[in-house]
Parts: sequence; C-alpha cells; structure tokens
Amino acid sequence: MPGIPWQSFCREGTWRVPVIEVEGLVKSYGRGTVRALDDVTFTVPKGDIFGFLGPNGAGKTTTIRILSTVLDPTSGTIRIDGHDLAEDPLAVKERLGLMPDEVAFYPTLTGEQHLRYYASFHKIPRADARKRAKDYLERFGIGDAAGKKLKAYSHGMKKRLALAQCLLHDPQVIIMDEPANGLDPQGMRYFRDLIRSLNHEGKTIFLSSHLLSEVEQLCKRVGIIDRGKIVAVDSIENLTTGLAAGTPTVLHVAASDLSDAILESVRGLSGVTAVERTEGGVKVTARSGADVGPDVSKAIVLGGGKLREIRTEQRSLEDLFLSLTKGGAM
Amino acid sequence: MNLRTFFRGLPQVAHQEFLANLKSVRLLIMVIILALAVVGGSYGLSGGPGGPSLSPLVVWAHAAYESNDSHVASVFVADPFGSPRTNTQVTFSTFRPEETLGVARTDGDGFVRFPMGNRSEVYVVAEVGTVVFGTSVFWFPSPVNFTSVTYQYDFDGDGLSETLAVHVVDREGDPAPTQLSVNGTYVRDVDSRGYGRLSLPRGLSNITIEVGGQVESFTVDVVEPPSGSLFGTPDATLFLLSAVFLYLIVPIFAIVVTFDAVSKERVQGTLDLLLSRPVSRTGVLLGKFLGSFAAVAFPVTFVNLAGLGVITAASGESPSGGFAAGFLGFTLLLIAFYVLLQIIFSTLAKTSGTAILFGVLAWLLFNVLYNVLTLVVGLLIADPAARFQFQLYAGLGNPSAIYQQLVLLYAPLELTGFFGGTAIGGDVLGAAAAIWLVILLVLALWVFEKKAAS
Repeated sequence: MPGIPWQSFCREGTWRVPVIEVEGLVKSYGRGTVRALDDVTFTVPKGDIFGFLGPNGAGKTTTIRILSTVLDPTSGTIRIDGHDLAEDPLAVKERLGLMPDEVAFYPTLTGEQHLRYYASFHKIPRADARKRAKDYLERFGIGDAAGKKLKAYSHGMKKRLALAQCLLHDPQVIIMDEPANGLDPQGMRYFRDLIRSLNHEGKTIFLSSHLLSEVEQLCKRVGIIDRGKIVAVDSIENLTTGLAAGTPTVLHVAASDLSDAILESVRGLSGVTAVERTEGGVKVTARSGADVGPDVSKAIVLGGGKLREIRTEQRSLEDLFLSLTKGGAM
Repeated sequence: MNLRTFFRGLPQVAHQEFLANLKSVRLLIMVIILALAVVGGSYGLSGGPGGPSLSPLVVWAHAAYESNDSHVASVFVADPFGSPRTNTQVTFSTFRPEETLGVARTDGDGFVRFPMGNRSEVYVVAEVGTVVFGTSVFWFPSPVNFTSVTYQYDFDGDGLSETLAVHVVDREGDPAPTQLSVNGTYVRDVDSRGYGRLSLPRGLSNITIEVGGQVESFTVDVVEPPSGSLFGTPDATLFLLSAVFLYLIVPIFAIVVTFDAVSKERVQGTLDLLLSRPVSRTGVLLGKFLGSFAAVAFPVTFVNLAGLGVITAASGESPSGGFAAGFLGFTLLLIAFYVLLQIIFSTLAKTSGTAILFGVLAWLLFNVLYNVLTLVVGLLIADPAARFQFQLYAGLGNPSAIYQQLVLLYAPLELTGFFGGTAIGGDVLGAAAAIWLVILLVLALWVFEKKAAS
C-alpha cells in the first residue's frame, strides 16, 4: 500500500484497520488548469477521531464532498470500510454519515419528516424509521420539536437534527464538516461530548474544523491540507515534536535578585545561546534539544537569586498549523 | 449495475417532489389561473350567455300626440327586463340634416316626453356611461289609439330568441291597461309603466295586444340557431381551448412548478445531503421529473376534464371521444416537454432566479419567436419548393408546435379543413415527439450527472 504512513495503523501497540483510505486524490476544474486537490493521500484507522485542518480554500470541503460521494474525483482512489468508492458507491454511501457545514433542510418539513425521508433511502422499514427518528430526536434534546417545521428551528436545533440524520442508518464512518460552527459555548461542549460518546461507540469520525482547540481536545491524529496538498498527516504529538526539532529551546525563568554575575554565569552554560532580562526574571534561549533547565536553576540559586519557576516554551497545534500553512487564514 | 441500483432513490424523490409541489402556493395559484381560463373559456367559446350580449340600456320610443294633435315623442328608457333607467340623458335630433333638437332626462319612471310640433320623424339616443342606444320614431296618420314597441331576446343563451319584450302606450304616450296574448291565449297585462314580457314557442307565434277594446296583431318568428356552424360546436370549442389557452398556459404552469426543482436543493444545501444517500443520480433526476410531472399533470388533467364537462353542459353534447382523449393525452405530452426542459435549466442555473429566466426565454422562443424565426429563414430560401418543405417541417423543431399539430391530427375533418390542419402524418409527428422526449431526457440526465453537485 504505497504512500500510506504505516504508523497510522498502530496506536498503543494495537493493529488497527484503516477505514478511510485516500490515495492520490486529484480534483481538477477548467480542463485541468485548476487543481483543487493535488495528490491527496491519507488514511484514517477504524475508531479514530481524525482532525482535518486547512485554511479557507485549501480543499477541505472539496475533500469532504468527494468522500461523501457528492462530487466525483478527477483521479485517485478512495476506499471506505473496504469498499472502493468508484466501483461500489452505494456500499460506501450505506456506511457513511455526512453532517455538512451548512445545516440545510427543507423548510416546510418537520424534523421527524426529515428523518423519515432520509431513512427511506436506507431501506429502513417504516415503523423502525419512525422509532429511530423519535429516539434520535429525543437523544439530541429536540424531541419536543419533532412535529415542528424546520423554519421554526434555531441554528443549534438544526445542528442537532443534522447529526441525527447522519446517524439514522448507523453508519460506521461519520464525516463532520465544522460541527461546532455557529454554536454557543454550551452547544460546543454538548457536541464535543457527543463526538466522544459516538467515538466510544466505535464510530470513526472524520472531523473538519477551524476551531483548533476543538480539534486538539478531540483528535489524536490530524491531517493538514494547504492549497490542495496534504502537508502533514500524523498524531498531534508527533507533529508538534517534529515542529520543535531544529528550533531553539526557550526557557522562561521567573526569579528575583538576579545580578549581572548570575546572568553571565547562565550565559556561559553549555548550549545556552542567549540570555535576556525580562520583567519578572530572564528568558534563556538554548540550542535545539539542549536540556539546560537544571543548569540554569543551579546557576541562579548558587548565585544568590530567588528562583520561583522555570517553564519551557511549548509548541501548540496553532504553531504547527501556522508553520505548515504559511500562516494562511482558516 | 442492475436496474434497481440504476434507479435507486427514484420513488422516494418522486414522492417527496410531488408532495412538496402539491403543498406549494404557486401550484394553487396556477391551478386557479388554469381553471379560470379553461372552464371560463369552455363556457364562453360554447356560446354561453354573458353580460356583453345583452345591452343594459333599451329605448322604447313612441309616436304620440298632444291633445291639440301636435306630435310628441314619448320615450321609455329601461333595461331589457323593464326596470326603468331614471335620470338618463336622452337626445332628440333630426336625420337630414343631423341637427340636435333638444336634450332631456328621464323621470322617476324612466319616461321622458319631447314635443315635436309637426315634425314626422326624430332620432332618439339614450346614453348611460359608455352605453348608447339609438332608435327612430315616425308619425304616420294612424287610426289606432295606442302604439307598441317590441324587442326579441335570447335571455337563456340557447341560441333561440324566444323572449318578446313589449312596451305599450296610448295615443297620448301614457301607459294604459293592456292585455297581451299569444296564439289567441291571454298571457298577461303590461305593468304600470307599459312593459310586458312574453315567452314564445319555436316557430311562428301570433301576438295580440289589446288596449281599450282595440286590437293589434302581428306574428313573431322564433327561429332555430343556424346549424352547421363551426363555432359553438363542442369540437370547435375544444380545439380553440387547446390551441389558444392550453398551448400557452400549460408550458407556463410546468415552468412555474419545476423551475427550482434542482436549483433550490442546491441553493438551500439539501442536494449534498440527498446525493450522499444510497441513491443513483439517474434515480434522483427521474424522481424529480416524475414528481414534478405528476404535480402538474394531475391538476391540469382535472381542470381539462372539468372543461370537457362545461363544454358538454353548455352545448348539450360532448366533444368527439377520440378528439377529447387526444386532447387530454397530448396535453400530458406538452407538460412532459416543458418539465424536462425546465429541469435541465434548473440544473444548469446557479440560482432559482436564473432558472426561471431560462424558462421564460424558452417559452418566448417556442411560443412567440419560433414562428418569426422560421418565417425569416423561410424568406431566405430562394427555391419555392425548398421553402415549402422547410416551412412544412419547421414546426417539428418546436415542442409546442408538435403539440398543436398532434391536436389538429385528432381533430374532426371539418375543423382541420377550416383551421388549416396539418400536412404532416401522424407517424412523423409521433416520431418527432418521441425524439424530443428522448433528447430532453438524455440531456437532463447528462446535465444532472455532470453539473448537479458542481
């Protein structure tokens, strides 16, 4: 399976089957002159919550529309739960639930009518469809609005209905495009908990979001796309560690009574490249990978300074994102 | 891919499209417009009675005499049923040279008297709004001591003028007790204003008016309406209905119902959710087509059947069975043409506004511009024989024209003889209709496959 990073198949030493496999995906417009997606390759193991990040116009929505069989790719292969999208699209559709970014419904249908309409495409018997619709509406806290037309629904209620329609047929793979978009903090927390709960039920979740904190809290693995190309696919931990590699280590030291002699002794420590006095102490810059913390604290204490805290500057997902996408807007 | 997979999603989409259209206000509005046109047209073209066929103003002018034997015009102005028109302006004038003698207004009983001196003729004109009614009065030496004026009416619209409205005044021009008889049988007295109405049988009737022992008799003929006329027959009415009303309105109906079948789903974002379901695009498109088609076809057929009922009721006989069946069937064909055409536009257009604009342009092209274009192109063809052939078959490029010619094909011979008929055979027309349907269907499927989710 060329091009697929093998580390994605393992987590905590356990072999995991890839449930979304995308290889060499290309989407061109205008007779091939404009490439919205260029050789996009990634996999998502079964039971994962996979974060999909990228600036506006990077190709996130195009990728999602192709994965959910709405848009045809120009070339490349996609397998969902072992089924090739080009050869057996109906099998793929049966295993897939889509929660689109725009919560769009028929304004004159009720919430329950929507769910029954969508259930009818999955060959769910009528009585069962009615029961499932009621159950999901209750589960997502909109059971009271089951008989109301969609024009009476708030944005948050529509989001919940969007999730209900995507789970109706019990799909193994759920594709969510900006699920927390437009929600208040309570709503965002509700959806975060719900996504975790679905994941615990064994669902694989492909999560596209511009809320990096949301992705950081939910996902262990992410894919980052920029200008139609995948620029990174790995665990957040590996990616941020990789980002830190080759960049200087920065220590923020909170201390008082720092004499010039103390600063000179710190400056003379092996690996330290710069020392700069700050309002509450000193900022120490060392070579990448140099563990100078113990030596710095020793130099300060022995020099008569009063040390309160030493904190190593961490690389966040945001740093990673900005670094990989040339600071592009999301 | 087996057939069930190929058409997957069709029944669900068709059902949803049909129900959504049935609940839409625009469908209701179109049904009302169509019903007004078809039912009203059926009644009107069948020759039913209407306001315009009866003048609301009638002048009953009598040659009367003053006590000194000088002439006086005694004029009663009323509606055909004898209700007086009060305060109505009446103008009295001479014939040659035309010279106004005077203007007067009717009194509370609808009467006006105008002294004429020794003049022996006068022209009397009454006016109410834009309605004008004129008549003449002549004074002849007469031994009778009363005068009568009669008008014959067809109040019930059956083509027979079997009502005779009579107005009688005495020698002085005043209403007098009068007995009216038909064929020797007393019927009634005139009312206090001198007005009376008689219902006459078909054929000749002898009318007798008796005032103060003096009798006047005359005959009135209630004639059969002319038979064999093309207009007013059920088939002619049906033909005009299809060629004039439905030919123009049904395409608009189809366009209005279908214009956003795809574009609305795309604009409101529901198309992605639909296409992500286990459906084939062929199934979705055919579902859209069948749902929209049924939503137009059911009410149109219902209104057409009502129109046939009205034609039958108004004219007393039903149109020819084959012609009526052809009319119903070919109207469905016309609906299918325009629903498919509009679904293509709805798929291509980015917005519903653009989609309906495309539909309006197509309607204008096929119903207005096409004939002009074929005429112009025909003029450019120098060879008369080639021009003839071009103009003969040019209609096959227009679905509305195919509908018209198919209707003509099924129309009775006397109608096609009068309206021009069609020189193209049924096989050619049928093939043209089938080709149009197949081309539009394939085009709709192809466009939907390529453009639906773009």
